[in-house]
Amino acid sequence: MMSSTTIDVPAESSNVAKGKAVLVAAPRPGGWKKGIAIVDFVLRLGAVAAALGAATTMATADQTLPFFTQFFQFEASYDSFTTFQFFVITMALVGCYLVLSLPLSIVSIIRPHALGPKLFLIILDTVFLTLATASAASAAAVVYVAHNGNQDSNWLAICNQFGDFCAQTSGAVVSSLVAVVVFVLLIVMSALALGKH
Amino acid sequence: MKSSPAELISEAKSSTQNSKMKRAVSVLDFILRLIAVVATLASAIAMGTTDESLPFFTQFIRFRAEYDDLPTLRLFVVASAFASGYLILSLPLSILHITRSSARRTRVILIILDMVMLTSLTAASSAAAAIVYLAHKGNAKANWFAFCQQYDSFCERISGSLIGSFIAIPLFIMLILFSALVLSKR
Repeated sequence: MMSSTTIDVPAESSNVAKGKAVLVAAPRPGGWKKGIAIVDFVLRLGAVAAALGAATTMATADQTLPFFTQFFQFEASYDSFTTFQFFVITMALVGCYLVLSLPLSIVSIIRPHALGPKLFLIILDTVFLTLATASAASAAAVVYVAHNGNQDSNWLAICNQFGDFCAQTSGAVVSSLVAVVVFVLLIVMSALALGKH
Repeated sequence: MKSSPAELISEAKSSTQNSKMKRAVSVLDFILRLIAVVATLASAIAMGTTDESLPFFTQFIRFRAEYDDLPTLRLFVVASAFASGYLILSLPLSILHITRSSARRTRVILIILDMVMLTSLTAASSAAAAIVYLAHKGNAKANWFAFCQQYDSFCERISGSLIGSFIAIPLFIMLILFSALVLSKR
């Protein structure tokens, strides 16, 4: 009797010791989640370039026509349109957010199974996706009217005269829409990674 | 076998707390969806039924304004109606999430679809807001006349209909947030 109880106790404690050794060993391999986190980081870098490029292209859009009348000179700059001012400020904000979210993305690569960074990123990404979409779409609406005009409200298509200005603003809008698409991809990936843990 | 009875009991308690939290969040999700349906539907109808004719006319032209005249406002009506239809169709899925708190794949699908609708609704309503702003203020440099000065009730209608969609957009963000929160709990 006594020998059986003394045999039992050391076996249990060695099992516990083994369990503790397993717990402090190396973390589980990342697998596809690590791959997704790396793609997320690379896409974020691309989105930084797109957003900041959009902001700078719009901010430098300025064209003065070579002819003028006695009273004023024909000039168009992003300053003349409140929507474009909103666009520049918002795209700069979105670019800054993306730069600041790069460390969180790196944390997500190092620890693919941690949920905190992913949850934080998906929530902030959604908010800034909305902001980026709002500014891109409102600028796109103004660029559309500048290209096509509107007969019913008698708005002239200024692109016929200010060709360079029009080209630059259109390019800025396209670049910001690229950033929006990248945001959508980032959120889809974060949702997939959250859904399987 | 390795964990003691006390640990098993505490795990069971936290899992019931978790499932209660998930259920509460799912109910809130359903309620917010209902509110968003009303908001987007009201937006689409308010913009879609705009029609104003000015009481004077010349020999050749009748001065009339409706949402069809501006392509951006047409896009807004379509996108609002689309968002409203999607929200109505996603109500059964939301009810499913209330009854089955452990459904993961459907929640992921719901997050992705919600985000796509959020993007399209935000884009359409921001574009419409930019046009409405131009209608109110005009633009001196581009020589775009602010037609709100003539078409009063048309202008009020198109400005007011934007409010509904700008209520629905934060609701969409919260829906995505809730789904992500529930997904991140074991």
